Amino acid sequence: MAKPFSVPPVVFRSSAVQRRPPPRPASPGLPFMSFDLGPAPSSSSFSARVPGSFEDEPPLLEELGIDTRQIWRKTSSILNPLRVAAHLHDDADLSGPFLFLMLFGLFQLLAGKLHFGVILGWVTVATLFLYAVFNLLAGRSGNLDLHRCLSLVGYCMLPMAIFSAASLFVPRGGVTIFAMAAVFVLWSTRVCTALLVALASCGDELRGLVAYACCLVYTVFSLLVIF
Amino acid sequence: MSLFLLLVRCCPQPSLHDRPSSLSLFLLLLCASSHLPPLPLFYSLFLLFRGGPNCFLDNPWPLPLLLLSLCASPLDMYDNLGNQAGMQGPTTNPPPNPFGNAFYGAGSGLIRGGLGAYGEKFLGSSSEFMQSNISRYFSNPQYYFQVNDQYVRNKLKVILFPFLHRGHWTRITEPVGGRLSYKPPVYDINAPDLYIPFMAFGTYIVIAGFSFTPEILSLQLTRGLAGWFMQVLLLKGLLYSLGSGEAPLLDMVSYGGYAFTGLSLTMLARLCWSYSYYFLMPWMSLCMGVFLVKTMKRVLFTEMRSYEKHSSRQHYLLLFMAIAQFPLFFWLGKVAAG
Repeated sequence: MAKPFSVPPVVFRSSAVQRRPPPRPASPGLPFMSFDLGPAPSSSSFSARVPGSFEDEPPLLEELGIDTRQIWRKTSSILNPLRVAAHLHDDADLSGPFLFLMLFGLFQLLAGKLHFGVILGWVTVATLFLYAVFNLLAGRSGNLDLHRCLSLVGYCMLPMAIFSAASLFVPRGGVTIFAMAAVFVLWSTRVCTALLVALASCGDELRGLVAYACCLVYTVFSLLVIF
Repeated sequence: MSLFLLLVRCCPQPSLHDRPSSLSLFLLLLCASSHLPPLPLFYSLFLLFRGGPNCFLDNPWPLPLLLLSLCASPLDMYDNLGNQAGMQGPTTNPPPNPFGNAFYGAGSGLIRGGLGAYGEKFLGSSSEFMQSNISRYFSNPQYYFQVNDQYVRNKLKVILFPFLHRGHWTRITEPVGGRLSYKPPVYDINAPDLYIPFMAFGTYIVIAGFSFTPEILSLQLTRGLAGWFMQVLLLKGLLYSLGSGEAPLLDMVSYGGYAFTGLSLTMLARLCWSYSYYFLMPWMSLCMGVFLVKTMKRVLFTEMRSYEKHSSRQHYLLLFMAIAQFPLFFWLGKVAAG
């Protein structure tokens, strides 16, 4: 049944480079599987074909919307728990949080625990929990949306990632690790509450209530590090 | 539904524990009673068939999804019903709408609620038939979250030391739009709220994770939800047997959830000193019993007919409710040592 069929040569509009016609089917057992085993047309011929289209493309990170300078600025603002720059977090992006979550998972991996799936699941649940609690508490004036909530929760995971790295050098089950956990959870909570209250137009009287919800979320993550 | 129960009973038990049938039964009851979207339910049932209760250890997704479905429907509702004041008392008839009638013959309330919840999420438009269905069972949840710091502190004092509450226990009413409604929790210490129960439940889960490994968190979540559900059943059953049972369901959910505050405190104390458990737990059960008796007495007072007030039957049932707190607290305090 290996009926040979002829394919007309493919001609591109703006160049004279032609593809070779596909070869005849080689093996009789697979008549319909014929693929071009020859050398593919080189990429230089592509750029020569439509001049300027490849060089005109924006850089990959810019196309993906990842602004590394902004991520660095946001990161360094979180490193200082006492002074919170909320205006930097107006544009919510998810690449910084992704990076921090991967770092957290990496440090857990260095400790011998494979927690990537658990981190993903718990971050999702934590985001939904905070989103629900914050919007219900703030009532009419709460305008937190899920994207921004996830972005804030992810950025405030930076202290957790640092805690995970630091816990590699501390003996397990001692008092020091619990004390460190308390410090880092408080750091995360303070930054997260300050950002939430500043960004999502909530009154100051709800600060303590939102802080307790954030505290619960980050305590759960510190459990991953301790145990 | 009975077919499902039959399947659940007949499913093979590969693991050493013999709890999967009760767990899946509980899940079925929970989802059926609150009209959750069916997908997480089916997925969790599928997992249970395959692997027993330990399946949730490796794969904690179904339980958060279940919780999410529980939170999602009131959340979608709050911006639909936000223009109403905090309405208590008998719920009004839902406004007639063409979509509700069109879907009524389509299937059970489970599918209707599920389609409503998913339709809302995917299409992004507020669906009126879901609004009318949900408002028949839940009052406006926004009312229960109008709290502030001061209310939370005072309410915690009332819950943990109900003997020391010097004021009265009745809720303050105000006339709104021609009918009496209760003041929101910000203005009234005796009003129920949902912030404290949810935070206390979260604290209970987290502290349970602290005392043992984090893997049992999902099991503890299920156990906590079961306890909360039983508490709500108890309160609602009490209301039905003594009165007309017209108090809003979310009120009962709120009163039932206050148990977790004392429970979390006891578990926290147990982390520090293990013998404190033996005298703190009965003390907290007693406090919760007193709190519930005083609250439910007021709730029943407003609903019952005048010739039935102060009956001995009412007193015996309230006493039973207070005594039932003890086994409930001890069961919830027992961390599932997997």
